[in-house]
Amino acid sequence: MKKHWSYRLSVFAFLLPGLILFVGILIAPIIMSVFYSLNDFKAISGSDMTFVGLRNYVELFSRQLANEKGTLFANVNYMGDALVNALVLGALSVFIQLPLALIIALKLSKGIRGERAYLSIYFMPVLISTVIIGQLWMNIYEPDGLLNAALGALGVRDQVFTWITSHIHSTKMPFKGGWTGYKETALIAAFVPILWQYIGYHMLLMYAGIKGVPADLLEAAQLDGCTEGQVNRHIVIPYIKPILKVCVIFAVTGSLKSFDLIYTLMKDTRRAELPSTLMYKLTFLNNRYGLGSAIAVVLIVLCFAFALLISLAFRDRGEKVA
Amino acid sequence: MKKFVAMLLAAMMLLSMTSAFAEAEKTTLTMWCIATESDANRPAYEKAIAEFEEAHPDIEIKWEAFENQSYKTKIKTAMSDPSTLPDIFFTWAGAFCGDFAEQGNVYCLNDAYKGFADQLPEVMMQNASYGENGDHYAVPLTMNIVTLFANMDLLAQAGWDHVPTTYDDLIACCDALVAAGITPFGCAGSETWCVTEYLEPMIEKTIGYEALNAIFAGKATWNDEAIAKAVDAFQEMIVKGYFDPDGLTLGNDQVKANFIAGKYAFYQNGSWNCGEINDAEGNFQVALFPVMDTEKATYGQVIGGPSDSLAVAATSKNPELAAQAAFELGRAICHYGYLAGSGLPAWTPDYDTSAVKPLVADVAKIVAESEGMVLFGDTAMSADPANIYLNYVSQVYGCEIDGAQFVDGLTNTLQ
Repeated sequence: MKKHWSYRLSVFAFLLPGLILFVGILIAPIIMSVFYSLNDFKAISGSDMTFVGLRNYVELFSRQLANEKGTLFANVNYMGDALVNALVLGALSVFIQLPLALIIALKLSKGIRGERAYLSIYFMPVLISTVIIGQLWMNIYEPDGLLNAALGALGVRDQVFTWITSHIHSTKMPFKGGWTGYKETALIAAFVPILWQYIGYHMLLMYAGIKGVPADLLEAAQLDGCTEGQVNRHIVIPYIKPILKVCVIFAVTGSLKSFDLIYTLMKDTRRAELPSTLMYKLTFLNNRYGLGSAIAVVLIVLCFAFALLISLAFRDRGEKVA
Repeated sequence: MKKFVAMLLAAMMLLSMTSAFAEAEKTTLTMWCIATESDANRPAYEKAIAEFEEAHPDIEIKWEAFENQSYKTKIKTAMSDPSTLPDIFFTWAGAFCGDFAEQGNVYCLNDAYKGFADQLPEVMMQNASYGENGDHYAVPLTMNIVTLFANMDLLAQAGWDHVPTTYDDLIACCDALVAAGITPFGCAGSETWCVTEYLEPMIEKTIGYEALNAIFAGKATWNDEAIAKAVDAFQEMIVKGYFDPDGLTLGNDQVKANFIAGKYAFYQNGSWNCGEINDAEGNFQVALFPVMDTEKATYGQVIGGPSDSLAVAATSKNPELAAQAAFELGRAICHYGYLAGSGLPAWTPDYDTSAVKPLVADVAKIVAESEGMVLFGDTAMSADPANIYLNYVSQVYGCEIDGAQFVDGLTNTLQ
């Protein structure tokens, strides 16, 4: 009995440092965020903290608010649109970014000439600082930038501008090539570099998984007369399913948390608002820490929920979700 | 010989102990500011600090400079735990500093001010004076106003030899410029404060400075048809092509560079640009935006005032010393900044001003003759209303809402 307790104590002692770190760095901030989100305060030392219950959450998800006179007005801090934008980004990541990454990974893993060089090239955007990537894409999107120059060289610049103008409803201004200046184009303009940057990251994860597929399985399939497509579909992709699951979780939760590239690309993020950019504005510019904390809590809940849903979706029959 | 070496070593030890003791006596004051390497005020800060340390060998200033936007985040975060604040910190006057002072995180400068009152008019302290007694909480450095910079060479190409002083003349001038293939204005849409540099003077020149001051102070609402008309007039200028459409996505540095390079005839922005524009090649003049309603406003009403300031943290271990240093540094930064053209003097100059750049001297004359002043809206209002206001201003420049929607939105939201 004594030995049993001493064993338990030693296990606990070894786990304690990790547990303290885990609680201090992850759990405690989440609990604090939940607490802050139920209060209205400025986070300036000495200022009052007023308990407001769920009012911050109601404000975030109300398209209109009523003032003291009962007059309704548009809520400029409305989070619904930002959340929809993040979900669209998540969907694009899953249905465009990941398939592209998978195609590249499948091709490269076949041992083509210059495989290592291609791997490095595709992975390079992940290594480059997001600020630099933002600057790079700013030069592409500028009115006198590369994109408009390319459209001009192709002789379709005026047609594209006219077509976009006819599809812009948020302003009466005609489209003149400022891709990040219009609501309808800013969002797409912001999503393209985000998708582009992380293709290499997912590709590398998938590539590593594909390289781990046992060679005898592949040889057996080939001997049985399977085509390359059939091998990929029936052997390789099912084999790397756990990696695909991780990629999908990273892509979706990453989209929900996306901040740095949009912030670098446009100083005024209003036209391509995401939950994180809204959270930054409300917390640090508007001094509304309670409202900002409420966004943080919504993001935490959504990230956990999506991770769980994705795990469920990838679950094999009879398998338990961890 | 041995004795000599021993004595020499003892003397050296004694000397090093003395110098270490003297070193220990030196007081260090920490300071945060926004004078980064690329900031126009950087040389003024460097000279001011060097001058201060020379005059006070027992005090060392340890200073750090941060980029403007990130500094706003840093200082607000530090305010949640004032023990992390430096002794002296840069702040904008108005509600920005007011929020910190209200919570007792800023040291009151009333006593220290007495020693400098003859060099720093009290009116210059007003934007950072709070409470029932109007206690002073920050030392102004320079003061700035919104200025209409004009490229006279481009105006001449459109047949104009002077900067228009009436609104009708300005419109006629813009029409002539457009007909000559010249873009009249450039405005950085990606930085909303640049849009306010156009919109606020137009509103002020429509409703008058007293009415706008009352709105920014929260003593009156935005519910005024005249404001809607001013906003509509601004949008009409945009729709008529008076503004560079590329400006919607450009930053202020690019727009200013375009103006200096001769792409626009006018550029309306802070007078802190005077030095740079003065030194650029070309024939430039400064003026104010013309009056839009002569019954309510006059030409001499301006947007601006002393805003850039130094404050002392209430948690400073040497608050009196830091306050004295803040005043001395503020005076010197003002001095060198004025001569460099990065602002007008909030302090009364007691030095030779003959070297002041012509454009700066012209703006100083405008300020001397000003008939009323309204502090920049995003500085005058506290953080939350200021950012809601900027959100609406951004929508106006993008022509996403009209004047009536702007007025309705702000009236109901900021009621």
